[in-house]
Amino acid sequence: MHEVSLMKNLLSIVDRTAFGEGAGPVRVVHLKIGEMAGVNADALRFAFEVMAKDSVAADAVLEIERVPLSIRCTACGVEFRPGGFVFICTACGSSEIEILTGREMEVDYILVGDDAGGADGAARE
Amino acid sequence: MQGEQTAPRGNNTGRELMHEIRIGEDLREKNEAIAEENRKLLAAHGIVTLNVMSAPGAGKTSLLVRTIPVLMKRYTIGVIEGDIQTTTDAERIAALGVPAYQIETGGVCHLDAAMVHSAIHHLDLDSIDLLFIENVGNLVCPAEFDLGEDARVMLLSVSEGDDKPNKYPLMFRESRLLLLNKIDLLPYVSFDVAKARRDAREINPRLDIIELSSTTGAGFELWIAWIDEFVASARRR
Repeated sequence: MHEVSLMKNLLSIVDRTAFGEGAGPVRVVHLKIGEMAGVNADALRFAFEVMAKDSVAADAVLEIERVPLSIRCTACGVEFRPGGFVFICTACGSSEIEILTGREMEVDYILVGDDAGGADGAARE
Repeated sequence: MQGEQTAPRGNNTGRELMHEIRIGEDLREKNEAIAEENRKLLAAHGIVTLNVMSAPGAGKTSLLVRTIPVLMKRYTIGVIEGDIQTTTDAERIAALGVPAYQIETGGVCHLDAAMVHSAIHHLDLDSIDLLFIENVGNLVCPAEFDLGEDARVMLLSVSEGDDKPNKYPLMFRESRLLLLNKIDLLPYVSFDVAKARRDAREINPRLDIIELSSTTGAGFELWIAWIDEFVASARRR
């Protein structure tokens, strides 16, 4: 269970961003979680429910977008989605591949309210 | 707590009243920054570091207990032990006469770079040239957390089953060496060594694989030779 420590990081990123931009209340937190990321979406949701309460994201909805695994062969350049976790190029058989997507564990964006009543409405541009 | 604050996903009501702030920041970024610091610090002291990972009971501590006495002739060794609770593993290592520092994670399922960072400062870095970090027994979470090691070594004991590569691909993908441990038990368990090797190599074609047993010592000469070669190549860098 490391979702709690990841959630701590998430909330501090959201907090920093929202306050930094003097934004209104955070409505949506959009996360990208790769198919191959070692993190459990349900545990993240649970951690969010418990931990967001006292944060700038207290009223926000957590959205989790699953990102499929995709890889690129650095030998022949072909990009593809492997079936299962086979990291061998389907075109040329090379094992010199890089993972393009599927390892994500990132805060993609947040949506903040344009309505008044933000953390610090006066600070908005 | 049930039923609270769970607006349905994709509920776009009022989305037009919101504006988007792009972030694109990885939740592991903070860990990675500290891991990089660890890596620099260890390299500055000429220390080669191996992060040893496996499921609980795969034999990490027993492996080290059998390995360290052989290596002590040519390296000065240090060990950082990660455990959720208890200090028994560190005591087993300390009994060999090498410095062992225990991290009790207090419920956390893996070591992270910050824990290792504070542990490093409890070791006399000038007198160590090979550092083993024994991670918390777990095949999932430790794979996501760079500690600042030079390489990751994972153990899979044959009693765990040959389906593990496909179930826990990230761990196999991130490791440099796979030790198939407890091969003395092969007559008693249905573990297809060829299948496990094949599946692991599909996930990580560059993975080195050694079969061994910490009980009988079978395969240890290969494992020791691997360490010697790895340390030599790390020192050339």
